[in-house]
Amino acid sequence: MKTMVEARNLRKSYKRADGSTIEAVKGVDLDIHQGEIFSLLGPNGAGKTTTISMISGLVAPTEGDATIGGHSITKQPMAAKRLMGFVPQEIALYPELSARQNLAFFGRMYGLGGKKLSRRVDELIEFVDLADRQNDRIDTFSGGMKRRVNLAAGLLNSPPLIYMDEPTVGIDPQSRRRILDTVKLLRDEQDMTVLYTTHLMEEAQELSDRVGIMDHGEIIAMGTQAELTQQVGEEDRLEITTGAQNVGEALTERMQQDIAGLTRVLYNPPEPIGENSGESTPARLTVFAKRGRTALPQIIQTLDAAGIDIQSVEVREPDLEAVFLALTGRALRD
Amino acid sequence: MRKILAITAKEIYTVFRDRNLILLMFATPLVLSTIIGLAFGGIGDSDVPDFAAIPVAVVNHDEGVDLQETVNLQGQFANLDALPFNLQDIGLPSELSGVGPNPLLQSGSELNFGDILAGILLSQPITGTATLGGAEIDVAQFECTLLGPPQEEGAASFAAEGSLDDLLDATAVQDAEQARAAVQSGEFAAAVIIPPGFSRRMIPQFAFDEGGRLYTQPADETGSVEVYANNGRPISSRILHSVVAGVINQFERVNVALSATLETSVNTLVDSLAVGDIDLSAVNLPATAAALQGLDATTLEPLGCLIAPGANNVTVAQQPLDALQEAPQFARIIVPIGAAQAVFFALFTGVFGMNSIYEERKYWTLQRLIVSPTPRSYLLAGKLVGNLAVVFLQILILQAALTLIASAVLGAPTFIWGTDIAALLAVTVALALCVSGLGVFVVGLAKTPEQVQLFGPMINISLAVLGGAFGFALPEQAARFSLIYWGVDAYVDLSLSQPDVSLNILVLFCQGLALFLLGTWLFKRRIDL
Repeated sequence: MKTMVEARNLRKSYKRADGSTIEAVKGVDLDIHQGEIFSLLGPNGAGKTTTISMISGLVAPTEGDATIGGHSITKQPMAAKRLMGFVPQEIALYPELSARQNLAFFGRMYGLGGKKLSRRVDELIEFVDLADRQNDRIDTFSGGMKRRVNLAAGLLNSPPLIYMDEPTVGIDPQSRRRILDTVKLLRDEQDMTVLYTTHLMEEAQELSDRVGIMDHGEIIAMGTQAELTQQVGEEDRLEITTGAQNVGEALTERMQQDIAGLTRVLYNPPEPIGENSGESTPARLTVFAKRGRTALPQIIQTLDAAGIDIQSVEVREPDLEAVFLALTGRALRD
Repeated sequence: MRKILAITAKEIYTVFRDRNLILLMFATPLVLSTIIGLAFGGIGDSDVPDFAAIPVAVVNHDEGVDLQETVNLQGQFANLDALPFNLQDIGLPSELSGVGPNPLLQSGSELNFGDILAGILLSQPITGTATLGGAEIDVAQFECTLLGPPQEEGAASFAAEGSLDDLLDATAVQDAEQARAAVQSGEFAAAVIIPPGFSRRMIPQFAFDEGGRLYTQPADETGSVEVYANNGRPISSRILHSVVAGVINQFERVNVALSATLETSVNTLVDSLAVGDIDLSAVNLPATAAALQGLDATTLEPLGCLIAPGANNVTVAQQPLDALQEAPQFARIIVPIGAAQAVFFALFTGVFGMNSIYEERKYWTLQRLIVSPTPRSYLLAGKLVGNLAVVFLQILILQAALTLIASAVLGAPTFIWGTDIAALLAVTVALALCVSGLGVFVVGLAKTPEQVQLFGPMINISLAVLGGAFGFALPEQAARFSLIYWGVDAYVDLSLSQPDVSLNILVLFCQGLALFLLGTWLFKRRIDL
């Protein structure tokens, strides 16, 4: 299988105002194959955007290198950039220009011109279904429409590789669905390689052929979804939202001892939301069990006996969220 | 190149699509200029007391030159030894070789350029005699055809024209310090101080080079006429400056013409002597000298150009005066005010135009451009050229709009910026370079867009105060630090049909280039994300 992206020991450090150094990415190794959707999954601040920025030539790595189709992004940036499209998290469009003008302008930056450019813009306008609004200014568009133009701008040069950095942030479910379908279409019909970053486990699960899980600047796990979920075993995960009462360590240990099939019990106490809001996140108990539904009555009984209010219970099959939780002890949304 | 042009075109397009920006770039300076123009210039083509009878002090310390010294071979011609023959050997008398009195000019014959200039400014007819070869000749008889036919004949006609008499209310003052103090107190708008040695400087100095060829030595820069101006009356002083410069230019033009004629004649003669084409033994020098005694004013026509004040007045000095007198009051006001406002508001365009790089970074369009296969230097070049083009267009459009406003106010089509379109465009290009260079520099210097928004207006307003854009003028030495001064000065000169704005263009261009390069160097780090 041909490798489209190969990153070795990618590191990025930034200097803080106080002179100290923060390492945003700590030696990432990555291989992305042609025609696959590879997702970088991780919470905000995990280093996904910095990684994608280095691979796309947006920021220079402090150490390491990446090749795109065999071209080094640091030594042959122009050749590497010709092979890639880029869809940033932000709406990287000129609001005072129309959708068509934006696409034509960025198309020129990829060396397109004349009829070829015009034809490509027509195709993309059609592809994102905005033919009737193509001459309207971007600042008159809804969030979802802007996202679609943003995506189209990344496809102008018909690239074999496209980077998508959280392309569904802040849009309605319909537009989100449309974008996810488009991403699958690009892989399935155009054999395009997609590097997709997200903090939403559902998106990574739906789209990805392979997933790299990032946390604190490192890829902590990488593989197909099946390979990753195997790491946490065939366990169900019970998410129990509780009242403000403290679930002590003694209680979680007793649950593990007394209830058959429980492998691990994690407790996340309530945390304040903001500094002065006075609100806090609900306390959450995560229980890993061989047969979650069987163990559930006994779990509820134990908590009730300990005087813990149960507000909601959800039983989940093994998924990427569970993998992340198992690897970091934290939920992705944390 | 196509990518740079695409970025430039996008810059221009986005600026001219932004209504708020257009309001700031065009409406505000136009409204301000028009209000000030109407307030101080009135409506219509009325007579203007402000620029008539400008009070001027004239101080003349020039002692003139002795014409005998002027034609004294050893005094006037340095390095006579370099000639390919000996003057004594060829029979020239000692008088002509510089020893003893000159037989052509009697002692006491003098020429005083300071008197001529003072006479022009004071609108006094220049009378008197020049003593040539023992005969007294009335200088009023002199004509100057060297530079083309005079419009009027002789010195007497000058006073009859009286154009300066309408414009200037000149008073002769004996002491330079007294004149300067009177200017400071506001009694005079300006003082023209003619220094000692002025005539000596104006007379061309000749020398023979090592090969025995005659050439003109560079003029001594000391002894220049000083125009000491009251900063509260910049336009009056500018008018006076142009009058004085015009007369002196004419002196110099005549000198150049005379020098060229003399160099050619002497060098031809020397060549002929050297190759033996002329048999000096056959020349009766005493007879030649005697013949020269009979020369009259018509024969000494080129010298007439030096002496006859009518020649000086008619061909150069009067040209700007005509332009001034034809220009209506509103036009005279709107040119400096409008130009100053145009440049002042262009400064904001320059700074905030470059600041858009921060906006692009904030909205990620810059990142999208960087990820495309476009070198960063192209991105920067496109931005810079775009900014330059926007500033250039802004100033041009404002000039066009001010012309329309002036025409509407005056009730007739009036192009207020002079007739030299090429010079006008050259000044505008240099100014646009300087303004956008400053923009690059300010943005490069600042670390954040907030700093640009703070420092940009501060720097712009400081330059406007220095350059006199707010209606009051600081000392010229200070004003020269402002690009507004150089720009407005050039536009006013062009509007007065004074085409020599090369110094202004040079200063603006160099200043702009320096700011551009320094700013670009600082600015490059802004697109290193």
